[in-house]
Amino acid sequence: MKPLIRRGLALTAATAFVLGLAGCGGSDGPAGDASSVADPVATVELRLYWWGGDARHERTQQAIDAFMAKYPNIKVTGEFSDWSGYWDKLATSTAGGNSPDVVQMDQLYLASYAARDTLTDLGAVSTLDTSQLEPAVLGMGQWGGRQYAMPVSTAAFGLLVNLDVLDQYGVTLPDTEKWNWDDLKAFGLEIAEKSGGAVAGVAPMGNEYSLQLFARQKGDNLFEDDQIAIRPETLAAYFQHALDLAQSGAGPSASRLSETAGLAIDQSDFATGKVAAIFSQVSQVSAYTAGSGANVQIVKTPSFDANQTKYEYFKPGMYWAMSAQTDHPEEAGRLIDFLINDPEAAAILGTERGLPANPAMLDSLTATLTENEAKAVAYSQSLEGLLGDAPAIVPNGASELDKIIARYQQEVLFEQRTALDAANAMIKEVKDSINSAA
Amino acid sequence: MSLLKLQKLALTPKGGQTRSNTRDNKAALVFLGPWLLGSVVLVIGPMAASLYLSFTNYNLLQSPKWVGAGNFARMLTDTRLHHSLEVTFLYVLIGVPLQLGAALGLALLLDRGLRGLTFYRSAFYLPSLLGASVAIAVLWRLIFGGTGLFNTILGLIGIESTTSWIGNPDTALSTIILLHVWTFGSPMVIFLAGLRQIPVEFYEAAQIDGATTFQQFRGITIPLLTPIIFFNLVLAIINSFQAFTQAFIVSAGSGGPSDSTLFYTLYLYQEGFGAFRMGYASAMAWLLVLIVGACTAINFWASKFWVHYED
Repeated sequence: MKPLIRRGLALTAATAFVLGLAGCGGSDGPAGDASSVADPVATVELRLYWWGGDARHERTQQAIDAFMAKYPNIKVTGEFSDWSGYWDKLATSTAGGNSPDVVQMDQLYLASYAARDTLTDLGAVSTLDTSQLEPAVLGMGQWGGRQYAMPVSTAAFGLLVNLDVLDQYGVTLPDTEKWNWDDLKAFGLEIAEKSGGAVAGVAPMGNEYSLQLFARQKGDNLFEDDQIAIRPETLAAYFQHALDLAQSGAGPSASRLSETAGLAIDQSDFATGKVAAIFSQVSQVSAYTAGSGANVQIVKTPSFDANQTKYEYFKPGMYWAMSAQTDHPEEAGRLIDFLINDPEAAAILGTERGLPANPAMLDSLTATLTENEAKAVAYSQSLEGLLGDAPAIVPNGASELDKIIARYQQEVLFEQRTALDAANAMIKEVKDSINSAA
Repeated sequence: MSLLKLQKLALTPKGGQTRSNTRDNKAALVFLGPWLLGSVVLVIGPMAASLYLSFTNYNLLQSPKWVGAGNFARMLTDTRLHHSLEVTFLYVLIGVPLQLGAALGLALLLDRGLRGLTFYRSAFYLPSLLGASVAIAVLWRLIFGGTGLFNTILGLIGIESTTSWIGNPDTALSTIILLHVWTFGSPMVIFLAGLRQIPVEFYEAAQIDGATTFQQFRGITIPLLTPIIFFNLVLAIINSFQAFTQAFIVSAGSGGPSDSTLFYTLYLYQEGFGAFRMGYASAMAWLLVLIVGACTAINFWASKFWVHYED
């Protein structure tokens, strides 16, 4: 009899597998090329890269076509990806000296890219008009005093409430103009009790934007001078708020929250009516109601003191940035200018990326806004009196912040750490990460 | 073995004709070319690069800065790294024996001359093809969620449960181990082939001597199957150390809930691409090579005591 497998064969296979590990690199995320019609007079070629879903891909491609019709000498190729694949691909293509000319950018990553000299200072690009944006909004595209990114849209933060669910269980929405965090908890409890547990009341906050607002209500800043500056007690209170909601029954349980954390918007517990209220960027209201068709109202984030002001701010939903590797900064600037300042582009792009950061473009869309979009605009305007200065953007080295917040919050929710312990540990981790990136 | 023969053929001078020898060598190079190119460009090159990067501070966007053993020193104090090693070892130590046990058990059942063997073999092999796929990992979320199929079935047999098995840090890893065990198809097929190689005469002789089925299993099947068990064991351990997709999808890339499914490779990915610490991630990759290499070496050493090669 001849043994099927010999020692030699096993050894060879084992070696191949083991050594294969070290050569394992990252694969690019799913990306597609939306090719465009070749133009015989085209002399300059640009690549535009963004993340998003199908609706964004279609609209952006249409905007590209309109741009090329207007500037026949510039040929633009669109490339796109989903959110998580996007950052892998942008990092690897930048590392390989092959970055797209114009890229969609997020506040979490802006400083990480700007600090590493991979972006162009847009202030020095003559073809781009930056003057139409509010200084506070424009300021959130700056790093180290330079304009490294143009805000595309602004987002306001609030609580989305499913009125249909409230009606179904006979719960009335309290006066939210002056409400505080305890009122919110009571509201969540009432929903959970009247629905017999079928609907969890209010899902807790858990991202960078909400932590910024919470810190500002406590008189803190999340970041100062490119370093984390929030006090441990403030961060602990933020975690404690989530724990209180989960433990009291006013919100979903810890395991429910972690199970649903990665779900797409249309499958989320709020979209399917299993949670009555969630914190969100309010422009998401359209996406959340698209599937369910529920009647959703946007209400103010609770505070600690009804007379408190100056803690609100509008966060750029996303930016357009220009790679430092581009050979055609003037033409790339023209493209960004078109996407930000041209009413033709605004009409095509609509509010798919959020409410346009350029007020003139937002005005030009007023007549065509959907009911939900109009709600988001009205809500944003209602916050005017509460607005304060724009906060410092997320510093270089802290681009994982949202994930870090979620991780420590989970440890608190599952009672593996106390809120204060988690707060201290998180501050240390973020500090180390920022220091090691500098 | 066939490779060795080929090499001998290529190297043995044919009647001392050096010219045809050179020509043969050239031909060999041409045929080896694609493989050679592939392994240099896709395996050896990146490996050399990652070895260099493991001694640097490299954020992907700027040139790497040499930091000597800095990355390896940082590993000593990185508690998430230690935790990810814990998770991965747990996964290997529990998942591999369970998976191989299931594979061997099924192979023994299928080896009894069942009608429709091909169908069953394919059916049981199917999970191996699908197991590492995104679709199955998504399905797993639905099955082991709070309102998932698993809890529904528990409800049918009278156990009320609303636990989210994948949402709870105490049980999340178990569901991923279960997913791994479920993909027992490929070791099973190899076991089946091994069982087929055992001569029937051995069993006949044993039966004449009055051996029970269990005695036959212990005295004939297991010893003759040890090379196959060994082969499956080595590959299963190496594969399990590299587990990534399941945890990545089931936890939406976070390794959660609260790091309970933070596999080593997942943490490596987070550090390299999420936190822009590619130098550290490269060092982690080489630590994994050392760990897996050591495990494999121990495996080969231990095999001397229990694997029987019959020539």
